Amino acid sequence: MHFLSIFDAVHLPRIAFILLAVFFTSFKSLAQGDSTVVKKDSIDYYEMSLEQLLKLKAHGVPTELEKLINSLISVASKKPLNVRESPSIVSLITEEEIKNSGARDLIDVLRLVPGLDFGVDVEGVVGLGVRGNWAHEGKVLVLLDGQETNEILFATTQFGNHYPIEQIKRIEVIRGPGSAIYGGFAEYGVINIITRQGEDLNGLSVSGTYGQGETDYLRRNANLSIGQKINDFEYSVSGMMATGQRSNEDYTDFQDSSYNMAGNSNLNNTYVNAAVKYKGLSFRVIGDMFQTTMRDGYGDKLSDGAVQDNFGSYFGELKYVLKLNDKFTITPRLNYKSQTPWQSEEYAGKAEYNRTATRALGNITASYNVNRKINVVFGAEAYQDHAVDHVDSSYFSNDEQQISYNNMAFFAQGLIKTRLVNFILGARYDKHNEYGDAFVPRVGLTKKYKRFHFKALYSNSFRAPSIENINYSTSDGIKPELTQVTEVELGYQLTRKSILTLSVFDITTNNPIVYSVDSALNDVYINSGSSGSQGIEAEYRIKQRWGNIGVNYSYYSVANKEKITDYEVSESSSSLVGFANHKFNLVSSFKIMEGLTINPTISFIGKRWGYGSVDDSAVSVIEEFDPVTLINLFLRYETPVKGLSIGIGAYDILGQKYKFIQPYDGYHAPLPGPGREFTFRLQYNLNFKKKTEN
Amino acid sequence: MKKAQYITILKKLFLLALLLRGLYNGEIKAQETDYKAYSLFIYNFMKYIEWPEAQSKGDFVIAVLGDSPINKELQTLVSSKKLKGRNIILKKCNTPEEAAGAHLLYLSDSKSSAVKTLKEQTKDKPVLIVGEREGLAKKGAGLSFVTLEDDGLKFDINKKEIEQHQLKIASSLIQLGIVIN
Repeated sequence: MHFLSIFDAVHLPRIAFILLAVFFTSFKSLAQGDSTVVKKDSIDYYEMSLEQLLKLKAHGVPTELEKLINSLISVASKKPLNVRESPSIVSLITEEEIKNSGARDLIDVLRLVPGLDFGVDVEGVVGLGVRGNWAHEGKVLVLLDGQETNEILFATTQFGNHYPIEQIKRIEVIRGPGSAIYGGFAEYGVINIITRQGEDLNGLSVSGTYGQGETDYLRRNANLSIGQKINDFEYSVSGMMATGQRSNEDYTDFQDSSYNMAGNSNLNNTYVNAAVKYKGLSFRVIGDMFQTTMRDGYGDKLSDGAVQDNFGSYFGELKYVLKLNDKFTITPRLNYKSQTPWQSEEYAGKAEYNRTATRALGNITASYNVNRKINVVFGAEAYQDHAVDHVDSSYFSNDEQQISYNNMAFFAQGLIKTRLVNFILGARYDKHNEYGDAFVPRVGLTKKYKRFHFKALYSNSFRAPSIENINYSTSDGIKPELTQVTEVELGYQLTRKSILTLSVFDITTNNPIVYSVDSALNDVYINSGSSGSQGIEAEYRIKQRWGNIGVNYSYYSVANKEKITDYEVSESSSSLVGFANHKFNLVSSFKIMEGLTINPTISFIGKRWGYGSVDDSAVSVIEEFDPVTLINLFLRYETPVKGLSIGIGAYDILGQKYKFIQPYDGYHAPLPGPGREFTFRLQYNLNFKKKTEN
Repeated sequence: MKKAQYITILKKLFLLALLLRGLYNGEIKAQETDYKAYSLFIYNFMKYIEWPEAQSKGDFVIAVLGDSPINKELQTLVSSKKLKGRNIILKKCNTPEEAAGAHLLYLSDSKSSAVKTLKEQTKDKPVLIVGEREGLAKKGAGLSFVTLEDDGLKFDINKKEIEQHQLKIASSLIQLGIVIN
């Protein structure tokens, strides 16, 4: 604590402000040297060769911002479309933004996206919330290089020092439904993480990060990537060894028992991602051994010390992009994944949990360009899930130690581009042998008119019950929950280097699958009631030569929606447990001098409601949690040694000690986050050869 | 954190916003169509398309039908360049009739509906009709511009139409465009 006294909460904003002001004054001189626009008149423009004509753009040399907002993405439509016309509300996060921000893990990155936030589940696991709704179990799909990371027993993805942040090339976030393309885990959103491939690496990259909390280390991560593209052949191998901890703070349960999380909240990850590609044929394997320790169990402090939780996942994919001609492409792929999540020994009366679930999936997708204006995508998907229980005394709902399910799906999408509007119509039909079928259509209108763009989207989506949802369902059985989402986005490019977007949404989920814990600590899943949220999201981005600034604000309300008892806040009709109605982010990067950037980020998370204690009758009591302002500062310097960069960062400078609140009434006290942390990062890239210019 | 501290932070953020506004020196205009690039393409159409010998002497006439920002760029072109030693003349026209005698007829976006009339009027005459709007090559223009999904600038080629107008298009130019028939 002592050596941090300089970062006194009162003085720090002043110090930060003065520093920023000083830096700003130096930007003008940098800005004056702006040369992003080619000086066409300085050359004999009309003597350009035919080959050079191929590089000309219809709207001139794009600015950095225009490159970003006009970049092609296919996460929302399969058919590549630019971000402003893509039929979803999309946030795009680039490698440069991730590097400059000094993000320690995906929590740091995704928290800066409008509408996304985090909460604690059980056993120290932190999951995602989308637009006020707890999305951890099966409502948000997380893709890593095309692989569905959600484990298929509970459909969760675990956050915190998980996945190699330093190897990410781009993250595409759909802040709305994606089921019409991706099926049953993409009900509220899709996080598509794309790591650097052979062509991006074209060499070797090593990096290391050390993070120090107030009393103990918080992360010691090492990354190694190697990759290259040689003619039509491309390969990449990336790995990460990470040891981290959730926090150095004390966790205090509802019985007022505490323990310090240093040494009791490990977030360790051993990760390997290897891919080879030859022309249209590609093969990828990923091993992701995420290992945690925890003492919070289902809420009460574990008196016998920390327990290890393992989340091992292995993925394999074989894919072939068969381009029959300029119009017709067929992509068959085979995926296999094996996951053993939530694996723990018996503790405090909870039985040992050790189950492995595998999914073998086949997908064939065809894309046909009728002409430049009309595209049709259609295909089919089938998978088989198989789960095995490794504990002698534990059984599935069929009273056996193995259980299998299968699912068939058909999907289609039509895209018509006209001068007035782009029209997208799509649907997916899933038929599961246990819980029945789900049909989710969607329709979207999008268009950009010079500076202005709009999107009007209506989608149905669904959450497929996971294996354990089925297993722990009551005698009434379990059904997919169905959601209707309406979204409108308006965007206006204020200048060539800045854009403002505003979106509104309305989400209604019928018969949601609700998790609960009964008095005997048994998990129970039921379809119950209705839920949803409404809200607005606004974002402003400016990218200049001196750096860039992004400001976003998100708001949700459930005042006009029905609520699930476990999620509702009786004191506030507009709030749900765990997630603030208001969230504000500032993401910025300023070039101070050649190679040196200073990157402040601010997250203001408004007032939250959560269960913080129990009354005399052991009934959990809801409390109001003060707003939190998380200020991080990262300095990144690309040294004169080619490829070598260093970074130092300070996080939660104000010492706000953010806590993850459990977004339902599950008898779990808020879980402390990392708190104040200082990091040091070293990265070295060695290029094998210069990239061939296009 | 106390309320007073929040107010202090908000004040500073407000000041920061003001500071940003003051530094705001970006280009005001959003990304508009780059007609200079269009004019460069047109110059290459003139270079890589061959007119009959009778039309290969004297001034080369470009007619622009309708109002288009390309006029300004073409003015720069005709005042600074020649075509194989020939002067280039720019004519601004409001009706198809005014465009008579032009070697290259540029159909601006606002006059796209005139393409069929022009096709009839210029039938078998050595005139190259270039459409600003995408899709006009299918309706009777010899060439029409196309903006690709990645904002790349290309052009459709109606080879049949070009040949009917007694024009010969170089293979190197064909490779650059998209042949639609």
